[in-house]
Amino acid sequence: MNAFETAATALMCGYLPLGVVAVRRRAIDGLVALELAGTLTVLVLLCLAEGFHRSFEYGVAVVAAVFSWVGGLVITRFLSRWL
Amino acid sequence: MVVDVLLAIGVTLELLCVTGVVVMPTTFDRLHYSAAATTVPAFFVLAAVLWREHLSSGGLEAIAAVGLMFLLNPILLTATARAARRQDDAT
Repeated sequence: MNAFETAATALMCGYLPLGVVAVRRRAIDGLVALELAGTLTVLVLLCLAEGFHRSFEYGVAVVAAVFSWVGGLVITRFLSRWL
Repeated sequence: MVVDVLLAIGVTLELLCVTGVVVMPTTFDRLHYSAAATTVPAFFVLAAVLWREHLSSGGLEAIAAVGLMFLLNPILLTATARAARRQDDAT
């Protein structure tokens, strides 16, 4: 296991407390946790791409960065209008 | 060795941001930590990747991913803060 795989594993440990926030707190706090989870996902994908030496996986990280942002905006609009 | 140090700093700061989101009492305090996660910690991880990849296609895509997060996330955070304020005003 190289340093990048270890870093990806350590970053993935952050999902658990963020999931607890998303479940137990208000919906808007859950959205903040979800946004941070999106950031973590992009960094995990970058670390895994480098750790496994698969250069095409960097594209997945770029797509994740865009779509986590778009998804966050959609949920934000939903929360501000209907909740 | 340099990669290990950069990754250790980046991951530690990122987990610190996670801790902040979990521990802080209000939505706006949480937003501060969520915003911080896309700045310094992400750039440490990017620096570690670039140390190995240099400016290959993988390195450029890593720059694109972190750059997109860094540039776009303030828009999302502002929208989230507005939604939070709207909810606070409504209650």
